[in-house]
Amino acid sequence: MFDFPVAGVEAPIFLLIFVGFTVGIVGGFIGVGGGYMVTPALIVFGFPGYMASGIDMTHIAGKGIVSTIRHRQLGNIDWTLALSMVAGTMLGVELGVRLLVFFKKAGLSSIVLLIASVVIMFGLFLYTQIETRRAHRKMEEMAREGREVAREVQTSSLPRRFQNIPLAPIVRCRTARVVVSMWVIVLVGLTTGVLAGFLGVGGGFIRVPALVYLVGASTHIAVGTDLVEIVFSGGYGALRHSMEGHVDIMAVVFMLSGAMIGAQVGSIATAFVRGPAIRYVLSYSLILATCGAALRLTYVLTGQSVQLLSLLAVMLTLGEMIFLCLFISSLVVFAVRLRRGRWVPRWAVPLVVPPEAAAEAVVAPAMAMRGAR
Amino acid sequence: MKRLLDSMLGFWLLLLVISLGSAGAIYEVWLKGRM
Repeated sequence: MFDFPVAGVEAPIFLLIFVGFTVGIVGGFIGVGGGYMVTPALIVFGFPGYMASGIDMTHIAGKGIVSTIRHRQLGNIDWTLALSMVAGTMLGVELGVRLLVFFKKAGLSSIVLLIASVVIMFGLFLYTQIETRRAHRKMEEMAREGREVAREVQTSSLPRRFQNIPLAPIVRCRTARVVVSMWVIVLVGLTTGVLAGFLGVGGGFIRVPALVYLVGASTHIAVGTDLVEIVFSGGYGALRHSMEGHVDIMAVVFMLSGAMIGAQVGSIATAFVRGPAIRYVLSYSLILATCGAALRLTYVLTGQSVQLLSLLAVMLTLGEMIFLCLFISSLVVFAVRLRRGRWVPRWAVPLVVPPEAAAEAVVAPAMAMRGAR
Repeated sequence: MKRLLDSMLGFWLLLLVISLGSAGAIYEVWLKGRM
């Protein structure tokens, strides 16, 4: 137990490091800050809600920098795409927050916000899960026919439609290999920003599917590029919360000590899998977060009288982090076992990258960077 | 066991049971009585 004087609570250090580590792995792998997992966990540990948000945002900013550096080494960031989106995202977040203030003045309750979160997250889960399953089946067919399976397989027709919008200026994103109107990128940033600001989240879980399904970036590029956005939005959020005195720096330090390692593990793990594997983890994260929000909604609707619901929400919050970490670790283990010629589940074979290619993906960009220096 | 792991749903359920069990253990050891 450690006494956090700024927050005025006592909390176990081990759990803070553990949460930082697990959410670091998940965030580095699917390109999200993980606020929807960290904030409820911190509240469970006894931190007041406003402190939980401040600590979470500050730790996300630090962790985002580590993940971004790793993804840059892996060649997963398209800077043109990232910088084109930043302006739209920031403007969108500001608009979303003002919209929230307006609706709150008009009598909108937290119940409506929770319902909106549940509907949006469940909708995203359904689309991602259905599309990824289709891509998975396609990859299995390709493998059966003896064809080489690409690192990225997508079956959605939405990107082509958005890429065909002929509005100048047209931007060529070299790393993402996407040619698209600048307005599409700005609009995606703006829309995801409004949703993030309105729902009070970082927005990574909305931006990554948007980059994949609307802009047409590969999943790996979407993850790396989104982490750049998180550094900006997390940094701004951390500054605002610090100015309000909502940050206990000791709690942030403990969380970051776990997150620094976790973020690197999660980022490097992306080199061992194909795009649909990342989308699977993203969709699982979405459905588990939806269940957590639905439980909180039921808890509020029942007048906070059913203690079992509160307990279930705690179990789900902690269980979600452990589940996602185990799934990501399993995929890496399967990739290594495949190289050694050992047994791996049939469904996992098309999802993992042959480790020779994975090792190349991890080592080659780092060597190139050293050479450039 | 291999048959269970060979199905994605089986693997998913196995991980879910392990995760919720671990979460339960964490609750019992560190959080019970503090909420």
